[in-house]
Amino acid sequence: MSDAIVMKGVRKTFGPKVAVEGIDLNVPEGALYGFIGPNGAGKTTTIRMIMSILFPDRGELEVLGRRSAVESKDRIGYLPEERGVYKKMKVGSFLAHMGKLKGAGGPGLRKTIRTWLERVDLADVERKKCEELSKGMQQKLQFIASILHEPELIILDEPFSGLDPVNMRLLRDLIREQHEAGRTVIFSTHVMQQAEQLCDHIVMIDRGRKVLDATMGEIRTRHDPKSVIFQPIDAGVEAGRIESVDGVAAARTDERGFEVFPRDGVTPTDLIPRLAGAMPASRIELHRPTLEDVFIEIVKGSREDGEAQIRAALRNGEETR
Amino acid sequence: MRTFQIALREFLATAATKGFIIGAFVVPGIFVSAIPLIVILAMNAAPPKVVGSLDVLDKSGAVINGLREQLSPEKLAERRADEKEQAKQVQSKMTGGMTPGGNDATADAMLEQMLGEVPQLTINALPADTDVEQAKKGLDVPYSNEHPGERLGLIVIDPDAVHKAPDAESYGGYKLFKRPKLDDRVIDQIRDGTRRAVLDARYAAAGETRERLQSLITVNAETREVTESGEERRSSEELTAMLPFAFMILLVMSVMIGGQYLLTTTVEEKSSRVVELLLSAVSPIQLMTGKVLGQMCVGFTLLFIYSGLGIGALAFYKLTDLLSPMNVVFLFVFFVLAYFMIASLLAAVGSAVNEMREAQSLQTPVMLLVMVPYILWMPISRDPNSTLATVLSFIPPVNPFIMMMRITSSDAPPMWQVFASIGVGIIGAYACVWFAAKVFRVGLLMYGKPPNFRTLIKWVRMA
Repeated sequence: MSDAIVMKGVRKTFGPKVAVEGIDLNVPEGALYGFIGPNGAGKTTTIRMIMSILFPDRGELEVLGRRSAVESKDRIGYLPEERGVYKKMKVGSFLAHMGKLKGAGGPGLRKTIRTWLERVDLADVERKKCEELSKGMQQKLQFIASILHEPELIILDEPFSGLDPVNMRLLRDLIREQHEAGRTVIFSTHVMQQAEQLCDHIVMIDRGRKVLDATMGEIRTRHDPKSVIFQPIDAGVEAGRIESVDGVAAARTDERGFEVFPRDGVTPTDLIPRLAGAMPASRIELHRPTLEDVFIEIVKGSREDGEAQIRAALRNGEETR
Repeated sequence: MRTFQIALREFLATAATKGFIIGAFVVPGIFVSAIPLIVILAMNAAPPKVVGSLDVLDKSGAVINGLREQLSPEKLAERRADEKEQAKQVQSKMTGGMTPGGNDATADAMLEQMLGEVPQLTINALPADTDVEQAKKGLDVPYSNEHPGERLGLIVIDPDAVHKAPDAESYGGYKLFKRPKLDDRVIDQIRDGTRRAVLDARYAAAGETRERLQSLITVNAETREVTESGEERRSSEELTAMLPFAFMILLVMSVMIGGQYLLTTTVEEKSSRVVELLLSAVSPIQLMTGKVLGQMCVGFTLLFIYSGLGIGALAFYKLTDLLSPMNVVFLFVFFVLAYFMIASLLAAVGSAVNEMREAQSLQTPVMLLVMVPYILWMPISRDPNSTLATVLSFIPPVNPFIMMMRITSSDAPPMWQVFASIGVGIIGAYACVWFAAKVFRVGLLMYGKPPNFRTLIKWVRMA
């Protein structure tokens, strides 16, 4: 299978600031890729370079077999991070304008627009002005605008920011549907959970560098579970009692109960029957590392700030959005 | 195709708004339709007739009889007829000797309105020993038309108004004490009559007559322009001087309005963040070209409306021969050149800033450029082939404005200069668009501190 996007040693600076440093990347056709990393990591700059909105200082870039996205703009759907609408324009006219600019200006355009508006629960807004819509509604419009022309490659920069849970699910389903239709989808997010639920391939970016490029399966095997989540039925059980169980090195209270670590030579899997035999449990499972855990494990060595600070930085972005 | 789609949206988003329609159509429409309205008002609302008496204390003793005559209704009416004739002559001089198409009646009505109805004045001569303070009593009551025949005022003529006092440098005169709220047209007539009476008395004292002195100080003169066909035509200097100004204003207005809209919509697209969505579909150059072309159509629309109104007005006064069709063609050619230069610079400004407020400082130099033809229209229309005018008509971006003034002036420049100026304009427009495109490309995605000129130059090098 050929690659939809190829990047070789791409570097971009803004004055003294290095935004992206030596990124190599191959995104095969039909893949669903997630770009993750904290705010300011270089995700948007990378995406803008893929879109030929910015141009790399060094390195090579190929999009859909062309040297530049400009040559294949009509085959790409793009939802930028910095997005807006023409406030005074009617919703229908705005989408028609964007569709025509994307080369989808056929006689069926209006009908396609109506179908899409119905699909995202906005059937009755076609004649309203864009400014009358809520931010979340506007975001759905922008998503429609980016896929109206049925592109082969869809690039979504922070598509979930500002959406409520219901609309997040709706958008996730729409993205999955595009992927299942054989289109290449790339999206960026700083909310790792989103990527975990949706992607089959993750690219992690931290401070302009690619720190991880692997499938979800690879990540799971590479980052084996190292502990067990254990929740006794008896809420009054103390950590000391759990630590007295054979094979347990330490137990630490966790929001889900206890995180229990095995002694050397004992695997977390071995711990499960031992803990279950020691006392009745309402929950007992292997603790699989989340992407956030993986990210922290990877970047911990290269950063001066501690784990708590990195976690706070990641979550901070979540709350402000 | 995409550029066209951008242009179309730009044009509709600007010209199909209430604000634009009101500004471009309704306001001039009101002006035009107001003219007949004013005429109707003028015909119906003639001022009320003033009837009353005037006390005269003639200390010189030589003016009272002349004054009685000058302020008699017959004399007042006669002078009214003279004034009307003079006003008509001034008007005909303004319009090059041609009377406005069939609207003599309206002109008369407006004159009548200006002059007011002839007042009926009764003159009471006061004895020479009357105390002025005593005579002034009662004049502080405001005048009202409801009580005709009342005293309107008091004229006190100085003793030396006719015969100069032996050591004095000048003659004496008179004082007019009037009641408050007396119609100022009536006061003008009283003053005019009194002045004439005093002068007549002085002429008589010097053994002269008004007619003889009048003929001594009058020189008859007429200017006729010899046209190419050998015919004579009475020239109309005032209009000839106004024509370059009108063309320049037309050009400046349509360029600036189109350019200003371009600046506003660019800033709007940037601040509403719709620009990146657009850039995923079109290149910055396509976007800018589309926007520039769209607003050019807005400028064209204005140019059509206003030049149409202008030509209509000239046709109304049967003055269309002042206007050569070639000049209108040049107007549109120079509009395109000036528009590309000015508007592309404004588009660059719009792309560089985050909101309208920040645009002010960068916009000022562009505005100053447009002020140049405003400041220079007088010297250039007086001497359209001066060194200053010739040099400026080859310096972009002011050359379209300057050349337009020269072409429409009484002494048009040689054709080679016109075409050379168009050539320079094309080069200037290309350079401005090139510069603007570079700034536009970098500026559109730059948020944060608004740039200064040095930053803009850096962007041009960067792009």
